[in-house]
Amino acid sequence: MSRPKFVYVIYIASTPDKVFRALTSTEMSKQYWSDNYVESDWKVGSPFALKLARHEKQDITGEVLECDPPRRLAYTFHPHHGGMEAEGASRVVFEIESLGDQVKLTVTHDGFQEGSKVFEAISQGWPHVLSSLKSYLESGKGITAPWYRDDAKQVAGPAR
Amino acid sequence: MNDKPQFVYVIYIRATAEKLWRALIDPEFTRQYWAGTWQESDWKVGAPWRIMIPDGRIADAGEIVEIEPPRRLVLTWRNEFRPELRKEGYSRLTYQLEQQGDMVKLSLTHEIDRPESNLIEAVAQGWPAILSSLKSLLETGESLEATRRWPENMK
Repeated sequence: MSRPKFVYVIYIASTPDKVFRALTSTEMSKQYWSDNYVESDWKVGSPFALKLARHEKQDITGEVLECDPPRRLAYTFHPHHGGMEAEGASRVVFEIESLGDQVKLTVTHDGFQEGSKVFEAISQGWPHVLSSLKSYLESGKGITAPWYRDDAKQVAGPAR
Repeated sequence: MNDKPQFVYVIYIRATAEKLWRALIDPEFTRQYWAGTWQESDWKVGAPWRIMIPDGRIADAGEIVEIEPPRRLVLTWRNEFRPELRKEGYSRLTYQLEQQGDMVKLSLTHEIDRPESNLIEAVAQGWPAILSSLKSLLETGESLEATRRWPENMK
């Protein structure tokens, strides 16, 4: 059995610069990533963090692997919540191609161990985040699905 | 484990399920985001279904398998204009629409009962562009420019 790999392609009426900025800017990422945000100086080898609004001190961490604005960005990805901390880091690559007045964004996430919980989580998560990124860049407003908010409440609630 | 050729795509669209359902089947909408094409069908179980290319050819055709507006549509799908794909026979397309607050989660599965399939590879290239454009149309009023017309290089 081959190891799982997640690939998602989405087309956005925008420019490569704007898409690249949205992927790397703390302020912009808050607008579409359901109040979560990215943090890094985006130098190769520097730490990367996805600060999770709903998991205090349980941010997703990683390291910048590639940064070639506005075409390519890659980082390692290591969640520390929901029983996923035991898995090693996986890898996310963003490829941005300009096609006329739109951008083709390809997200490839791989490097999972067999039976990976992270793979399951990101397979739900990326379509949600990237749909929101597109809405944000095209209409100025991101989206957050109710299931994501409900998960957040459960996680933040006193039961935990 | 199922290792038959399969393409799965999920996209969230700020719209009502009713509006999205209409946009998936109504020629007035599909012409704007689906390469100028439109579909013809009575939209009843067992009814024939086809996608028309603006030059009069049929792109794909099949039959309605399940229809439950505005939640679920299943149809068989055979390519009709590329002989090498047509000979693969019928594939199966499922749309699932779930209203979630002010948005709809649209899940699409396109699969075929063969060990390998160029058809599924071809549609896997096409669906992200078509569904991205559909999302743009419903959220901003404008589809993506590249999807508004049948591509000139696609004979």
